[in-house]
Amino acid sequence: MKCTKGKWSGFAANANLLVFFMLALFLIGSIPAHATFGVLSKDDKACLNCHAKKPYDKTNAKGDSVSLHINDKKFSESVHNDNGCTDCHTNLEKVDIKKHEKSNNKLIGTRTYSVAAIKVCVECHKKTVKQYDDSLHASLVRGGNEEAPICTDCHDPHSVRAESAIAPVDDVPCGNCHAKIVKAYAGSIHGHARTKQVEAGKIPKDDTKAPICSDCHKSHSILAAVAQGRIANSCLSCHKSALAAHKKWLPNTELHYEAISCSTCHVTTTKRRVDLRLYDTIAKKDISEKTGVPMFESRAKAADIQGLGLDALALQSLLTEFNRDIPRGGTVLRGRLELSSGIELHQLTDKSKAIKDCDTCHSSGTDVFQTVTVSISRPDGRSIRHGAQSEVLTSPISVDSVKGFYAIGGTRIKLLDVLFAIALFVGVTVPVVHMTSNWLFRRYLRNIESKKRAPPPQT
Amino acid sequence: MQRIYVHPLPVRVWHWINALSFVLMILTGIQIRYVGLVSMVSFQTAVDVHNWVGFVLIGNFFIWFLFYLFSDKITVYHPELSPMKHFRDSFRQMKYYGYGIFKGDPNPHHVSVYHKFNAMQSMTYQIIMLIIVPIQCVTGLLLWDVERFQWSVELFGGIRVVDTAHVLTFIVSVVFIFIHPYLASLGHTPMAHYKAMFTGYEEIDDDASH
Repeated sequence: MKCTKGKWSGFAANANLLVFFMLALFLIGSIPAHATFGVLSKDDKACLNCHAKKPYDKTNAKGDSVSLHINDKKFSESVHNDNGCTDCHTNLEKVDIKKHEKSNNKLIGTRTYSVAAIKVCVECHKKTVKQYDDSLHASLVRGGNEEAPICTDCHDPHSVRAESAIAPVDDVPCGNCHAKIVKAYAGSIHGHARTKQVEAGKIPKDDTKAPICSDCHKSHSILAAVAQGRIANSCLSCHKSALAAHKKWLPNTELHYEAISCSTCHVTTTKRRVDLRLYDTIAKKDISEKTGVPMFESRAKAADIQGLGLDALALQSLLTEFNRDIPRGGTVLRGRLELSSGIELHQLTDKSKAIKDCDTCHSSGTDVFQTVTVSISRPDGRSIRHGAQSEVLTSPISVDSVKGFYAIGGTRIKLLDVLFAIALFVGVTVPVVHMTSNWLFRRYLRNIESKKRAPPPQT
Repeated sequence: MQRIYVHPLPVRVWHWINALSFVLMILTGIQIRYVGLVSMVSFQTAVDVHNWVGFVLIGNFFIWFLFYLFSDKITVYHPELSPMKHFRDSFRQMKYYGYGIFKGDPNPHHVSVYHKFNAMQSMTYQIIMLIIVPIQCVTGLLLWDVERFQWSVELFGGIRVVDTAHVLTFIVSVVFIFIHPYLASLGHTPMAHYKAMFTGYEEIDDDASH
């Protein structure tokens, strides 16, 4: 082709420029306005230009250092990547970045910010936040507890994954506060089963699913573990045939279920105790302290003068005090066998190792009945306990004070043993004495008779 | 010696089932309550036998109750309404057992078809059959399945009250199970009354029958 320098060179230069601009537009256009998995949106990239730096700390007006670092990779892979930064940080939607960078004195502490940010979570997670509001955790937060978890303590909003994501056993957020319990759980039969399912990459959706914390304690509506029957119901929700299986060998199965927590028999090497809980037979529920009106501890201390634990008389006196609050003598003590340690009760073992020997509880002097506590519910469902002496279970007064709890043989009243011993003694002695007296008397009479009949001595 | 028919067949059947049941219930009851001290059988076996025999005892009670309810022999369980007569007869009987029997005195009570029990027996059997055994059976039933009968357990005051009543009646039964067979051996021969409870016929002196 003849060089057409001049007219054609100008055209070629324009064409090149056009191609360049089209390519640039194409490249610019290929950066998505909205994010996809692993890819940040344009707006979010603008935020993370600074916030992805590590470290990225700022000092607030109080002089506290606040970390503002966000892991951009984790955020891009989180479920919130679809929302973007300003969906939650709505106040920063049209912010001037330069001014925003300099506004340190508006920084508050992370905890304070996160508590306030629950208002943002509720926009999308209304039902879940409602469940959380009714929970023990929320109650503690409202009470000013700085350690109690809020949404962001369990769900880092910048790296939260889908519900279907399978987390390793030791990676559950519960371990942030309950590390020892999570460790104990990891070594339990449930923990081992869960680990196997996690390693296989598949968690079943039926009853063969090995439970993690939220399966028994619920994810958000977490209540005190002692809340009536709650944990037992969790066990039975998966172990549906457990009741029928126990009925094959365990007398009074339903009573055992009512009075004994599952872990009491299914955690083998640990200390057990009896907890006598104040119960209102009229309202048919555990008696609960009213907020701001603590009575139990002061009354218990007043009754337990020597500080050695409530004895039988002191316990009776405590009950009388509570019966003044509830008419018609509706206050009773309901006993329950449980483990002393919250950590150990997560160390459930294989059922072959569970306690099946009745003597463990049903013999006098057994360890199970040596530790006794009396308790009442707090308004948030947790228990307040006061120690009691083991004699409260075997004293004659217990017929009145502990009328709702009895383990045959294990908590028998000693006075009745004395009466039984007397009955045996009378039952054996009276016939023996009577027979002996009869024999001796008849022998005596025979001797007299024979002497009468004997001929007089010859003179 | 004259023979009179005082123990009808239902009564004899009831009596020996009762006797065996009482003994089994007492033995298994001791094993259940004193599992750390006694090892006749395992706790679980004792509970199983106790439960089964308990139901036999409850059924047996109704054999006795229904028989006498529809029989003219119910007079043997009629209480003596005159306190003076009752006291006099009881004292006389106690004097016989406590002293007269050693001397060979005749029994002051004369057995008859409609009045076969002496004053002490009559009072004891009424207490046993109308108070002790019903309390024992009812409390036992409640303890057999506490959750099923929760409403009733609470009506009586709670499980500990129910169990205490059960144990107290057990203690009375223990005394009874020793004293009753011994007193039964104080007939004109040691086996006389035992034989009567098998055959139905008591042998009485011709003099006493007049």
